[in-house]
Amino acid sequence: MFGMFKKKEDKIEVGSPVRGQAVPIREVSDPTFGDEILGKGVAVKPTDGRVYAPVDGEVSLLFDTLHAVSITGTGGAEILVHIGLDTVALKGEHFTAHVKTGDTVKKGDLLITADLEKIREAGYDTITPVVICNTDEFAAVEGVTGSDVGPGDTVLILTKK
Amino acid sequence: MKSFQYVVKDPLGIHARPAGLLVKEAKNFSSKITIKKDDKEADASRLMAVMALGVKGGMQITVTAEGADEDAACAAMKKFFEEQL
Repeated sequence: MFGMFKKKEDKIEVGSPVRGQAVPIREVSDPTFGDEILGKGVAVKPTDGRVYAPVDGEVSLLFDTLHAVSITGTGGAEILVHIGLDTVALKGEHFTAHVKTGDTVKKGDLLITADLEKIREAGYDTITPVVICNTDEFAAVEGVTGSDVGPGDTVLILTKK
Repeated sequence: MKSFQYVVKDPLGIHARPAGLLVKEAKNFSSKITIKKDDKEADASRLMAVMALGVKGGMQITVTAEGADEDAACAAMKKFFEEQL
């Protein structure tokens, strides 16, 4: 699908970290994400627990609770992938990390595996917000939503200032 | 320059939500606000940097504010930590 679009220099495309359904970030019930306190972004309702790198870059922070990971893209975007809501409270249970802080990753590299079924059984929403922590540094952050996505399919388009 | 020390009470520490709220608060001021944990420092207006400090419950941090509104900034940050963390 990527080859169909000619990339412009002033745009950065962020791929979906998971397979699922892309929805507007405002649909996330947690106001931390829905009200864009962490930045603008998008959310994916995952159907598969394998979480992949959304861009080429570096793992700037793998939370030690493994429920979230930040990637700093080679284009300068600071992307937070937060698997589920309030899942910090699981303290790492049901998550397996495949990378560590400081690792260089390519788009599509496996970062974390989440056992979605167990997480849901434990009472957590598995919706996965993908947030641009440095939204201020971009002219625009637009979500591409309303459809089923596979890992790597574009879910956010960032316009450089 | 104004500063204070604080020991984080929330066992989960400065994870995504409190970090987001902290950055939002810090951006209300023109002063440069810095959070220091051991030998690591983060600009309080940068979410990723704040989260990367990896502050957990029981850890001590030092918050400094430097600039025109440093008194107000320091007071607001102190209030934020006491209420949220």
